Amino acid sequence: MKTVLELRELLDTNQVTSQALVDEALVLAHQNQEKCNSFVTILDDAKGNHEKKSLLSGIPYVIKDNFSTTGILSTGSSNTLKNYIPFFNATVIEKLKEAGAVPIAKSTMDEFGMGGTGTTGHTGIVKNPWDPSRMTAGSSAGSAACVAAGVVPFALGTDTGDSIRKPAAFCGIVGYKPTYGLISRYGLFPFASSLDHVGVLTRSVEDACATIDVMKGMDERDQTSLDSSTMHLLDSLTGDIKGKKLFYIKNLLELDAYEKVSDSLKSTFAQFESTLDLLRNAGAIVEGIEFDMVLLNAIPTTYVCISCAEATSNLSNMTGFSFGSRGEGSTYIESMKNHRTLGFSPLIKRRFVIGSYVLQKENQEKFFLNAQRVRRLVVDKMNELFKHYDAMIMPCSEGVATKLEQAGNMLQNDLLEVLENHMVIGNFGGFPSITIPNGMIEELPIGVNITGKVLDDENILNIAYTLEAKMSYKNQIAKEVN
Amino acid sequence: MSKFTAQLVDDYADKLLIGLTREENASVLNEFDIIEANMNKINDIAGLSSVEPMTHPFEIEFELREDLPDESDSIEQLLQNCEKKEGREVEVPKVVGE
Repeated sequence: MKTVLELRELLDTNQVTSQALVDEALVLAHQNQEKCNSFVTILDDAKGNHEKKSLLSGIPYVIKDNFSTTGILSTGSSNTLKNYIPFFNATVIEKLKEAGAVPIAKSTMDEFGMGGTGTTGHTGIVKNPWDPSRMTAGSSAGSAACVAAGVVPFALGTDTGDSIRKPAAFCGIVGYKPTYGLISRYGLFPFASSLDHVGVLTRSVEDACATIDVMKGMDERDQTSLDSSTMHLLDSLTGDIKGKKLFYIKNLLELDAYEKVSDSLKSTFAQFESTLDLLRNAGAIVEGIEFDMVLLNAIPTTYVCISCAEATSNLSNMTGFSFGSRGEGSTYIESMKNHRTLGFSPLIKRRFVIGSYVLQKENQEKFFLNAQRVRRLVVDKMNELFKHYDAMIMPCSEGVATKLEQAGNMLQNDLLEVLENHMVIGNFGGFPSITIPNGMIEELPIGVNITGKVLDDENILNIAYTLEAKMSYKNQIAKEVN
Repeated sequence: MSKFTAQLVDDYADKLLIGLTREENASVLNEFDIIEANMNKINDIAGLSSVEPMTHPFEIEFELREDLPDESDSIEQLLQNCEKKEGREVEVPKVVGE
């Protein structure tokens, strides 16, 4: 399957029909399901759309299963909603429908978005198309796996910590989370409302721009949505970054700072250095800066406290009474407890208990409010840096996707945990943030992330676009290596 | 020694109407210890208590829309995902005691 822009050209010159694209996508989806388990639902009756309304008209795509879709099963990959069929579309789905794009499947995810491995969905784990013995990362696991496998040119994702950008890195594709509020969250199953972003997974920066151009816009049903009518992402790409200034966090990229230095970490840092050279050769200025270690070390815990607290509140409506699977019980308390105990996975339950703990009156000040204070300090520091720099550039992880048996969602207590989770800074501040492929380590993909200031999406996309052109990973389709 | 206990974890889970297996309980206990240790370090940040907690990524001016009557969703639609219903009402276990 080609990119959105390539398919547009083929459709406009009558070299292919939308129905042919949809049929091909459905065949590929079933093949991918066998290998990777990317989907909760495959829409076998999807029909091509031959009327041109936009760049996306007639082009097949995939929806993460936490978006409400009229008449289509929408589970959030949770047993609690295993039979839930909404009667309305999320705003973003409605926009894509108006643009003529054709949904062909709904993708498997970590339950309600609360996981970073792609292993906690109620229909089973998602496997990495490069190596099925490895995770994709999550939570937009199926969306990443199917785009990487070439089933469709783009898929919807959501990102509360790094849930678009990390799986994009491990699957060798592009993952873009726009500025908070650029895309309406109406109809999205909420995880942590102050951190939740809608975004996209594609195989080129141009496609990321073309798709978000369609999806963005104010929505009276989402008070946090922003006016971006003067922002034209695809048209703004120039490929010129002369004089742009980027920084990286030096104290996270010094091998000496780590207790254990793996070959994978060394390769990741070496590859990152080469990428910085590419930027410098393109005329950009790249500098390392020191970031307060106390704040850096606080990032993973801050994220856990805030996200768990918000999730606990957001999902308190999961009772099994007015929707969802009804729990057994002779009293309403028993019924609700059975619904929640049997319906939620162990990971979600763990997160809820943490959320409950940090929200208790006696703990709020020390945990929840202090986490929110640390969030402000981190965001203030970033905004200060963005006064002098156009963007931050960092590796997405310490290496390639881990083996499935090692994939965990437990909080660790070391610097690698900070390196693995630093992209949550983009959620703390609502900053636009994009991951693009950054080559291979032992034939498996890794990514590089570029994050900029609020509403400066055009700038970071142009930097990513320029860098992408200097590498050879655009429209990369996964090749199974193991 | 940890100040957290299995009983405390079960109590917090119970407040959320969630039951935990022994393994799930142990997993939460372990994570509580890490969070507690990290928060203790965070609490040492000078002047932290004077920082305004951040509830939203950036300041947004909220505008209230006009207060106009609108069509609400139909009861039939709202009940279509309800497993137990009677007519236009949700069927629930007895709420009031004997």
